[in-house]
Amino acid sequence: MRNRLNVQPQSLKPPSTGNRTVRIVVLVLVAVVLLLAPLNLPPFANQTLVRIGVYAVAVLGLNIVMGYTGQVNLGQIFFVGLGAYVTAYGVKQGWNILLVFVLACLIAGIVGLLVALAAARLGGLAIAMVTIALPIVGVPLAKRLEGFTGGSQGISARFTDAPDWSGLYNDQWQYYIILLVTAAGFLLARNLVRGKYGRAFGVVKENEAVAASMGVSPYRTKVLAFTVASIFGGASGFLYLAAVQYTSPETLSFGHSISLLAAMVIGGAGSIAGSLIGGAYYVLVPLLTNAVDPGLTTVSQGAILLIVLFLLPEGLVSLPRVLRRITFRNRDRRGAGDPQRTVPATAAGAAPEKQAIQHQAEHQAIQDETDQQQTIQHQTGRQDQA
Amino acid sequence: MRKNTRPRGVLGIVAVAAVIALSASGCTRGGTNQGGGSNAASPGITDSSITLGITTPLSGAIAGQGTCTVAGVTAYFGALNAAGGVKFGDGKTRTVTIKSYDDGYDPQKSLANFQQMVSDNVFAATAGLGTPTNRAFREAAISQKVPQVLVMTGDPLFSDRKQSPWQLGFVPIYQNEGAAFGKLIAGSGQPHKVAILSQNDDYGKGYVQGFKDAIKGASNISVVGEQTYEATDTSVDAQLTQLASSGADVFFDAMSITPLAIASLQKAQQLGWKPSWFLPSNTSSPAAILGPGGAAAYPGIYSVSFAKAPQSPAFAKDPDVVKFLADLKQYAKYPDMPAFPHCMWSYMVGATLEQAFKTMTEPTRDSFMTALRNVKDLQAPLMLSGTSVDTTTDGQPAVSSVLVQKYDGKGYATVQNFG
Repeated sequence: MRNRLNVQPQSLKPPSTGNRTVRIVVLVLVAVVLLLAPLNLPPFANQTLVRIGVYAVAVLGLNIVMGYTGQVNLGQIFFVGLGAYVTAYGVKQGWNILLVFVLACLIAGIVGLLVALAAARLGGLAIAMVTIALPIVGVPLAKRLEGFTGGSQGISARFTDAPDWSGLYNDQWQYYIILLVTAAGFLLARNLVRGKYGRAFGVVKENEAVAASMGVSPYRTKVLAFTVASIFGGASGFLYLAAVQYTSPETLSFGHSISLLAAMVIGGAGSIAGSLIGGAYYVLVPLLTNAVDPGLTTVSQGAILLIVLFLLPEGLVSLPRVLRRITFRNRDRRGAGDPQRTVPATAAGAAPEKQAIQHQAEHQAIQDETDQQQTIQHQTGRQDQA
Repeated sequence: MRKNTRPRGVLGIVAVAAVIALSASGCTRGGTNQGGGSNAASPGITDSSITLGITTPLSGAIAGQGTCTVAGVTAYFGALNAAGGVKFGDGKTRTVTIKSYDDGYDPQKSLANFQQMVSDNVFAATAGLGTPTNRAFREAAISQKVPQVLVMTGDPLFSDRKQSPWQLGFVPIYQNEGAAFGKLIAGSGQPHKVAILSQNDDYGKGYVQGFKDAIKGASNISVVGEQTYEATDTSVDAQLTQLASSGADVFFDAMSITPLAIASLQKAQQLGWKPSWFLPSNTSSPAAILGPGGAAAYPGIYSVSFAKAPQSPAFAKDPDVVKFLADLKQYAKYPDMPAFPHCMWSYMVGATLEQAFKTMTEPTRDSFMTALRNVKDLQAPLMLSGTSVDTTTDGQPAVSSVLVQKYDGKGYATVQNFG
């Protein structure tokens, strides 16, 4: 349900009021379920949900820079680790936890900005190289800066034990902390990618020359996307420490960055809901393989990655869309297609019915026009300001 | 415009729903499995069985060692289960089930695995390999009062009773090993020049510290070169070249990375530098490291051990070794000659656990910890004579005594003198 709300802006546009009521009801239901769940679930389920939240935020950040803006980032785990270390240090120093959270995001964001200022000048693969360097530099750095990081033995910090007044268990308390931050993060990201910046990201991803000709600076857009991704990484690091309560140089090892990337691709690149699925994949698959045969973790992850890439190149989030497409195709073959029916805008535009495509194309054209107008308006607005 | 009105309405409804939900629910979780009376059995133990959990790297760079930590314990208890089970101190005979979990040397995953263990009703976590991975769930284990014992890390924290009431390390701490070698060459009476290469972390520092403490005051030993490398480095050629030029005749190489150890054995030969080597116990495997590294070219490769090496011809017919290899094959699906000492270590973990099981008087974790901290002078199978399991000393792991060994072309043999 979530993905329909989030992934396809088009499906939100039709102004039927009945539809809106349904959406509100669904949203409220989801919210109530999310709020009530930890009180009824066993601790292990809560702990698992907590970790899903942690990695969903990290994947979300990665999605903004890679999925939406098309810039290869192989260093996201560095920002997660940075956020975790800042949090651990802050907690050890006894700082206010809100301040620690802000610092975790801010420091990660500043480092991300500095890296991006340099890296975004370079094209395509060069950015990937720079981002590879981050975790590779990060691990030895974390080992050497013993005063801050506790060296290779790591640093542990507890700050998410449930306070007495709440009457909650620790796992439930952690769940609510992480739900709060994750929900806020997803809401912010959704607004970001659906607003003017999201459109700028999209144009830069498609074609930088076109972006420049429309007055969208590819450089600034890339820097922005990278910085936002780093901030999400820092937030994820804060959550990591809230959930794991320990961090060590192993946290930011390069391999995990690749796992995050795989999680993003499997969930769905360029999709908000896909980030959530990616986070779930990152956490759940190792648990499942543990239950089946703990010797098969890497093999099964590789197999899942290949299967998803072959069958659902747009990630698991596209599963409902693909299923719908298949049912349409079948109905078309039987000659029972309903031409008036609105086809959800598939990215590939592979819906077989001509009318539907036409309809969709019109819809798209109108929308593109308004989008462009908005972009132009926004651009001129910005120029005026400047 | 539409957008502006909608979220506010939704927010209101969500807020109300949240308030209702929170106030209505209260605590649905009544008596969880924690606490309970002193006589009630802890989770994971019944009248006929007990379940142990191992979280260890089964994938990634140190999967070989990790697989061994599971194989040894599984083999040990597999044989006992086949013979009917273990007779516990409370008079009941139980079979021992081992559940293994892959953490890939990722602290976050080992914590997840620990949480999974708790939900799988595991009685105790044991034998897991890795310092960060064990540290990641140490506090959780303490707060949930779940034993995390006989773990494979040289980190002294796990053997400190005040800080780690529910933990106990198994293998000697790094300092123990470095000191044993330092003592040997200091006692040789001959002048020796030593070059030191160490991993720049607590592991390498622990070895070097133990070594230097042991040679303190020995006038025949001089340290002529000292270099470090990072655990993430892929080559130590530069350091080796530097050290080779120091003209040292003894090389103390505190290294934990298997490929690097092989590469440095090869590189020193290329440089024409042929000192006597010291290698830590976990990077001194004859099959996995010394053979590929061409160690036979050196006058001597020394390491420390407390376990009989199954590869060594000296132990080929040893009854412990024969039974160990047969158990590995039959119960742990590990048909090959173990490439890492962790297989032997975790077999001994099995024996130590059995000893604790035999003396624990109640089926509780408390009783288990008391029993486990009372194992003394246990000569576990595969242990070299002169070493033993002793869990009674605060600050020391279960095994703190090691013997210096010399490579004999196939395996290791204990030596009393250097040279």
